[in-house]
Amino acid sequence: MKPPPRFRPRRIVLRNGREVTLRAIAETDAAEIVQAFERLSAESRYSRFMQHKKRISDIALERGVRPQPGREFAFVVTIPAADGIDIVAAAQYVATAPGDVETCEFAITVAEDWRGTGIARRLLASLLRRARRDGYKTMEGWVTAANTSMLMLARRLHFKVEPVPGDATVLRVQRALQPPGPAAPITSGMACRMTSTKRRSRAG
Amino acid sequence: MHKPWLVQYPPGVPAEINIEQFASLKEVLASSCARFADLPAFNSMGTVLSYRQLDEASRAFAAWLQQVAQLRRGDRVALMLPNLLQYPVALFGVLRAGMVVVNVNPLYTPRELEHQLSDAGATAIVVLENFAHTLEQVIKATQVRRVITTQAGDLLPPLKRLLTNFVVKQVRKQVPPWRLPGAVDFRQVLTAGRAQALDDVPLTRDDLAFLQYTGGTTGVAKGTMLSHGNMVANVLQVAAWMSPNLIDGQETVVIPLPLYHVFALTGCLSFFSKGAQILLIANPRDMPAFLKALRQTRFTAIIGVNTLFRAMLDTPEFADVDLHHLKLAVAGGMAVQHVVAHRWKERAGVPLVEGYGLTESAPVAIANPVTIQEWSGQIGVPLPSTEAAILDDDDKPVALGQVGEICLRGPQVMQGYWKRPEETAKVFTGDGWLRTGDMGLMDERGSIRITDRKKDMIVVSGFKVFPNEVEDVLTMHPGVLEAGAIGVPDDRSGEAVKVVVVRKDPALTEAELLAHCKQHLTGYKMPRIVEFRSEPLPKTNIGKILRRELRV
Repeated sequence: MKPPPRFRPRRIVLRNGREVTLRAIAETDAAEIVQAFERLSAESRYSRFMQHKKRISDIALERGVRPQPGREFAFVVTIPAADGIDIVAAAQYVATAPGDVETCEFAITVAEDWRGTGIARRLLASLLRRARRDGYKTMEGWVTAANTSMLMLARRLHFKVEPVPGDATVLRVQRALQPPGPAAPITSGMACRMTSTKRRSRAG
Repeated sequence: MHKPWLVQYPPGVPAEINIEQFASLKEVLASSCARFADLPAFNSMGTVLSYRQLDEASRAFAAWLQQVAQLRRGDRVALMLPNLLQYPVALFGVLRAGMVVVNVNPLYTPRELEHQLSDAGATAIVVLENFAHTLEQVIKATQVRRVITTQAGDLLPPLKRLLTNFVVKQVRKQVPPWRLPGAVDFRQVLTAGRAQALDDVPLTRDDLAFLQYTGGTTGVAKGTMLSHGNMVANVLQVAAWMSPNLIDGQETVVIPLPLYHVFALTGCLSFFSKGAQILLIANPRDMPAFLKALRQTRFTAIIGVNTLFRAMLDTPEFADVDLHHLKLAVAGGMAVQHVVAHRWKERAGVPLVEGYGLTESAPVAIANPVTIQEWSGQIGVPLPSTEAAILDDDDKPVALGQVGEICLRGPQVMQGYWKRPEETAKVFTGDGWLRTGDMGLMDERGSIRITDRKKDMIVVSGFKVFPNEVEDVLTMHPGVLEAGAIGVPDDRSGEAVKVVVVRKDPALTEAELLAHCKQHLTGYKMPRIVEFRSEPLPKTNIGKILRRELRV
């Protein structure tokens, strides 16, 4: 498969009137990712990792800022800051299992102060298009049962929400990507506060 | 709305209750004290407080809060008491003074206590001396400025009081040393309060009565705002529901569950509204003392949870307890096990009548008719003036017999979570239904059965435990790298907490870890099973813990 086209950075005006940049993650984002993680509340970290995580391991960070082209992708949403930029949201997908070319898993995280601005919807729509282009047939995600905002957003973007046998704490959301299902809305329209993510992390 | 369940109401149970009957719990108190003045209201350790005595003592307590402590209407007063006579005195004292009761589990650890007192913004607390040392450790971090301490025997007759207080302190050594400068003794409060005037606060249904704390999915407890209207409604609903079996002024009910738990609280208040004698059991785990109290008192009703009924049945001496007068045994808080229901009916002659509700519904919303002859295995039908619906993920009603989320509407449903508008918005649908988080189905006669739980929690003997909070405490330990908590079936408690831990420090032992947990978690939240693993916890490729895989 030939390498997918680069994602061109774009400026977006959010519902709160703020302008942000949406772009692909870069290796140089590692330090900012660590800082963004540290600013997150315990609740947000729990939504993303489903455990109480105190720091992102170096290995996970390393993997996260270097997505494998054509198989993985990660977006960041940035704003200008005194020391360069701040990352206020991130989203990514990876193959559900190593080598799986059919199904990918996604995660989204939005900093507390940036919820309700439509960022999450925008990110999820971008992930859907990119994953379809990478040839995945299905996108899935795991959402804590308490994370109603993420569940609402997933339903709006035509994900099916299902209970997970043996675990009442999470729900699985999934939708087909090909053949092209209902077009993933692109506008930032109604927003949802949200949830999960940052970098993928494998502890240790 | 069509209410198919009404066909199951026994004769005498109305479809609707008249919530106009009382504007507040204060009026419920006044009504019972006037109607049943010289009947026994509360009985603890063989000592009885009549309705009249309760009226006088709670009046003095209320006057002290207003005039001496200078607390204002709406101020939060914490009660950190087991089931002793002091509890109803303080409870009604706070309510008739126009203040808000914050019930606190006396066994809370400092971490849990500090969170609850701070979150509620409590400015005063009534605490049993046995637990004053816990308060001492955190009081500076809270807004509490007035402390009333009491000893276990404080409301017993003089000789018994001295003896009880001596035994608790000197023989059983149940009072760790404590120091709370400025704390006032409960008995002094009553004496001083008798000399004070009580301002009659004109409470309405909208006034807040309780901040009742319940576990939060984010690991911290949140305060359920229950108004006087909510509480009055549920007291009337439950009283109406029980009316086929009970006669005003003639019943004696056993309350072995702690009154800081909403199920025991509202149950107790319902019996109170009917002029019953309420037998308080301070510690049902002390089975010999519990059974002794049961042998000494002729009782006609009891409320409990599955774990407790089972423990009673498992105690040989329970055979000596006279159950001939028992008319009603109510079970709530957790699912009743078939074997327990069967054994209970055989031994007691009356079935366990199971009810269902949440702290958020004050709590009873659904119950079996009290006239049933056999335990039904269902949670029952909605109470008078209560609606239940089974809704799908889009908040639309499912077809009859289909599984969906059990949702509730009624005058007992809470006002919201204290200072948490977002959490509040999450639990209500656009049409005002309270989402229970329990999955279930309704049959054509309106009977509801629970099939599954949607919420992310473990229920231990009727108490909610959120995995998140347990994991938070585990990972506070420097020797822990990763931890996951899950509920596993348990014969005694329904579910028990199991934790799976990956160590950072290979020398960390189970005993050390449990000792750490004990410092931060109340007993019912404590892990029952600890499993250490050497490999990382199972995760999805994107890095989320797969809790279901912790079960294998």
